[in-house]
Amino acid sequence: MTATATGLTAFRAHVRDWCRTHIPVGWREAQTGVGEEEFVAFQKAWFQELRRAGFAVPHWPAEWGGGMPVAEQIVLYQELAAHDAPRLVLAFVAIHHAAATLLAAGTDEQRRRHLPAILDGEIWVQGFSEPGAGSDLAALRTTARRERGAYVVNGQKLWASGAAHADWCLLLARTDPKAPKRRGISYFLLDMRTPGIDVRPIRQATGESHFCEVFLNDVEVPAANLVGPANEGWRVAQETLGAERGMTMLELAERLGNAGFRRLVELCSRPGPGGARPIGDSPVADRLAALETEVTGLRALCRDLVERHEAGTVGRADASIVKLYYSELLQRMTDFGTEVAGLAAHTELRKPLSSSWESGAWALDFIGSWEWTIPGGTSEIQRTIIAERGLGLPREPKGA
Amino acid sequence: MSAERSPGGGDLAGGLEAELRDELRAVARDLLTEKGPEAALDWRSVAEAGWLGLEAPEALNGADATFAEVAVVLEEMGRAAARGPYLGAIVLGAGVLGLLEPGPGRDRLLAATASGEVVPAVALPGDGAAGAAGGAAGEVPFRVEAGPGGPRLHGRAAFVPGAAEAGRLLLPALDPGGVPVIVDVAPDVAGLGRTAQPVLDATRGFGLVTADGVAVGEEAVWRFAGDPALALGRVRDRAAVAVACDSLGVSEAMLDATVAHAKVREQFGRPIGSFQAVQHACADMRVRISVARRLVEGAVRCLSGPPGGDDSATGVAAAMAKSYTCAAAVDVVGKAMQLHGGMGYTWESGVHVHLKRAMLNRSLFGSPAAHRARLAERYR
Repeated sequence: MTATATGLTAFRAHVRDWCRTHIPVGWREAQTGVGEEEFVAFQKAWFQELRRAGFAVPHWPAEWGGGMPVAEQIVLYQELAAHDAPRLVLAFVAIHHAAATLLAAGTDEQRRRHLPAILDGEIWVQGFSEPGAGSDLAALRTTARRERGAYVVNGQKLWASGAAHADWCLLLARTDPKAPKRRGISYFLLDMRTPGIDVRPIRQATGESHFCEVFLNDVEVPAANLVGPANEGWRVAQETLGAERGMTMLELAERLGNAGFRRLVELCSRPGPGGARPIGDSPVADRLAALETEVTGLRALCRDLVERHEAGTVGRADASIVKLYYSELLQRMTDFGTEVAGLAAHTELRKPLSSSWESGAWALDFIGSWEWTIPGGTSEIQRTIIAERGLGLPREPKGA
Repeated sequence: MSAERSPGGGDLAGGLEAELRDELRAVARDLLTEKGPEAALDWRSVAEAGWLGLEAPEALNGADATFAEVAVVLEEMGRAAARGPYLGAIVLGAGVLGLLEPGPGRDRLLAATASGEVVPAVALPGDGAAGAAGGAAGEVPFRVEAGPGGPRLHGRAAFVPGAAEAGRLLLPALDPGGVPVIVDVAPDVAGLGRTAQPVLDATRGFGLVTADGVAVGEEAVWRFAGDPALALGRVRDRAAVAVACDSLGVSEAMLDATVAHAKVREQFGRPIGSFQAVQHACADMRVRISVARRLVEGAVRCLSGPPGGDDSATGVAAAMAKSYTCAAAVDVVGKAMQLHGGMGYTWESGVHVHLKRAMLNRSLFGSPAAHRARLAERYR
């Protein structure tokens, strides 16, 4: 065994010990069905617990409190998944998108203001999509008009996940209405306590409401909160949007392959209404084995993406392949769970809290899987990216 | 162009090995494509390239390399739809010999195989599924029975790769005590039958091997170096993963051909590759091949170490790689034929060669369902 391998084995043992002693026993049951305030408090407390162990922002540069080698990060997320640890839902945009944006394009002042605050629990939301700008994000119409030392923002944002709890917002707005659509957009940091912001939750197909509409009515943003040059916001967003796709997909894939798949096996091993166990049925066993194979492939695909990031050899469509495959595999797995669980799945009217995207309330999980195939670039958009950027196929002519 | 390379390994040795494999891949692609698709391999040039003794020890004309290097050659052979006895003679033949206790007979045959002088075959039935998960032996096709005139060999194995042209046959058998052994026989010995089994895939050769009271001398019975059941499981896993490597190459070749075609073929006044329906079909091919590659890599890694490490993990990885990759290849090549349009359906286009190869691979050494059944045994 090489020195690195010995170090990793020791690190894995350390993370395992930590998981055994720090993950609250029965947290899923305890947290299921609690009110929003308690959910937020639990998420923030868990974030601080991870922070004390050095596990909250391992991907950040060392000077800001991260600096964990990628090989150790992989081990960390594998073990957190294996021990079904709570996942950082609320802090997600803050520690990934906001941090990546600030590190890549923010000023020193912006970094000093926000990175330590994020460690202390500052919550961020993404204000990108709009009613008329979904897959065609660059068609966004929210405007930011320069007035003296500030910008005045007017418009409407949609699908802002967790906006109700957010302190700050990553905002894209049009600063030059006459420029071609990708050239007139600027990137802002928006304080959610600014007057003129109205946040309204949207009820989703699952019955939950963690997405919000955000109405912006003459909202003033100081010019110092511009990220990167004015009218260069599209480029900044393109560079930082995919920043999180490696390790965060690896974490989700590990969770889908651990607790997610285990739950599916348990479901199939439980006697059904007639007393027979579904797993005794060979088509059920066959599909289960096919899904285990696919989830194993997904996990390897994610490890490979992370290693390519590290080696600087990421292909132009690699992140799209992972996002597309995860989304559709999640959909297939939860569809299968819904079918095996039968009518019982339809009696679970609320989704229990989960460490991942799948919770074991299969019917609701299945419905919730469209939350993966639609946002963040729909599966159709991902396929087009893979074909055009990955395979080099000719672009579809404009207006075709 | 769309083929993926593995990123460099984390440590120096890993990086060096990956570099050598990339070089091997480039040489293999040159050698295999210069002859044109479906060309018969000139065994002498294959021997000179060093592919026959990759895993054999240096003292026996080998290169002391691992299954990872063999896997590179296999993938490129699938890509080129190459003919030739590599699967039977090297993956199985040299592979089995490498798992046996050293001895003069075994050493001679391994050295002759590595140099290309002798082309052996292993009578492992191609229509049999791999053994149960855990690498344990499935059914052994032959048995040695003690008799008044000395031990005699009985049994049959169908769809044995390279059986018809083999210069030496290695028969997996149970000895009178029920222990798996390998019996080494000359192809023309009395009581041994070899019947060619022609298949749709004209790039492959199989035969039915029967033994009806073949006299077996003591020196012809060769024993495995470790646990014989595990060793036979290892042979079956090698067979399954080798076929998966082949299907991976078949798939990559067909995706490349389809993308190239879609870029130049015009309909409605524009390249068909600019139509979303075609783009998305190609994207789905790319995704499936990427997943297959990761599963094959995992299985190849398991098989590159000595047996006895974690044989159940090897069996699981092999079953996953075989079932997923070989099923995906049929879908990928089928889609390639579809996207080539009427041209793709012609004999001349050659897409059918890869389709037949992918279809055969899917059934060879265990169907996807048989391998998934192995996996499912672990859930009970």
